[in-house]
Amino acid sequence: MREPASTDSLIASLAQGVAPVRRLRPPAMRGLAWIALAAVVIAVLASWRGLRADIGLQMADPAYWVQLLGAALTGICATFAVFEVSLPDRPRLWILLPAPAALFWATGFAYGCLGHWIAIPFGAPVLEDSERCLTTIVLATIPLGLVLWLMLRRTHSLRPSDSAWLGALAVAGFADTAHLLLHTVQASLLVLAVNVLPVAVIVIAGGLGGGRNLRLKTGG
Amino acid sequence: MTDSDSEGAAPLAASVRADWSVLMARGQEGDERSYRQLLHGIAPYVRSLARRTGLSPEDCEDAVQDVLMTIHTIRHTYDPARPFGPWLVGVTRNRLADRLRRRARIWSRETELTEAHETLAAVETNSFEKAEQARRLRAAVAELPAGQREAVELLKLKEMSLKEAAAVTGQSEVALKVAVHRAVKRLRVLLGDEDA
Repeated sequence: MREPASTDSLIASLAQGVAPVRRLRPPAMRGLAWIALAAVVIAVLASWRGLRADIGLQMADPAYWVQLLGAALTGICATFAVFEVSLPDRPRLWILLPAPAALFWATGFAYGCLGHWIAIPFGAPVLEDSERCLTTIVLATIPLGLVLWLMLRRTHSLRPSDSAWLGALAVAGFADTAHLLLHTVQASLLVLAVNVLPVAVIVIAGGLGGGRNLRLKTGG
Repeated sequence: MTDSDSEGAAPLAASVRADWSVLMARGQEGDERSYRQLLHGIAPYVRSLARRTGLSPEDCEDAVQDVLMTIHTIRHTYDPARPFGPWLVGVTRNRLADRLRRRARIWSRETELTEAHETLAAVETNSFEKAEQARRLRAAVAELPAGQREAVELLKLKEMSLKEAAAVTGQSEVALKVAVHRAVKRLRVLLGDEDA
């Protein structure tokens, strides 16, 4: 079948001298690479700051495990989901993958928050600890967020909002894992605020056309 | 998590999918001929998907071109170990959905102009003949598909450069040129040759 003239000329111009491209590696492999980077970042932070003083005590507490595993699993599931969902031939249902782990995580930190508020002794140096906490969160968030953003930009996601949300959740999960291993102060909500709130603001400000930096630019 | 082209889209023969997969793999390696053959092969299929969304023929062709440009931009994301059909349908559906959302947003913000909105104090604008010509032109422009109308307004009425218009609309300069070209052709038809 003959194409309309303008489509014909577009095809000719796209095909003329088409450059070879380097194919993306499979999403699971890219996810694993990023998770390995997250593990390295956490290990570096742990060797610099040291594990929290009461780590031995915490290990015996099931609530701590719920929170730690919840955060780590949310990070892992969101990572695999974001690399899958950013490809056009993968079902959008991947966005649900981190949901159970995120629920697990939320339950853990809701319980942890309550426990922490009850347990803080009067006059405890909470602010000083919180500052150290925030530094750890930011130091984990910046390299992980930056590398993930660069990896996702190469995908040119056709579902930029989904990719932005899932990416933020992945970074938040690992930042909170680092924080739970390193600090005694309960700051999971702060971690979420640092990672997820900016994305929420961008998505809402962009008229639900969020993840603009990940959005494909063509003539459309 | 099944192949997403099994629902709604016209079914593709397995041999066609395999051929397209091979052609795309060669295209990714820089084989011009295979890539051209692929784009010519998929265009009618993309067009048939676009028609199902209720787009006008002109919008439909714009959509086909947009999908072809998208495929070109993200061709590195296709994995030749996987079937080509779901990848193609995924790209097409996402781009069509973006287009329909954008169109709905533009329509929701537009208000039809009446003469009362357009009346100016200048004497020449009160000339009946000129006012009538202007009214006909406005009506004809209003009949253009959204993409063409926007291109005409920015490039012809506001006299923006291609670069400026591309920055405003987010469209490529090529796409804008195509849109204006079609718009002028359509306006000629709507207004009659002597007015064009």
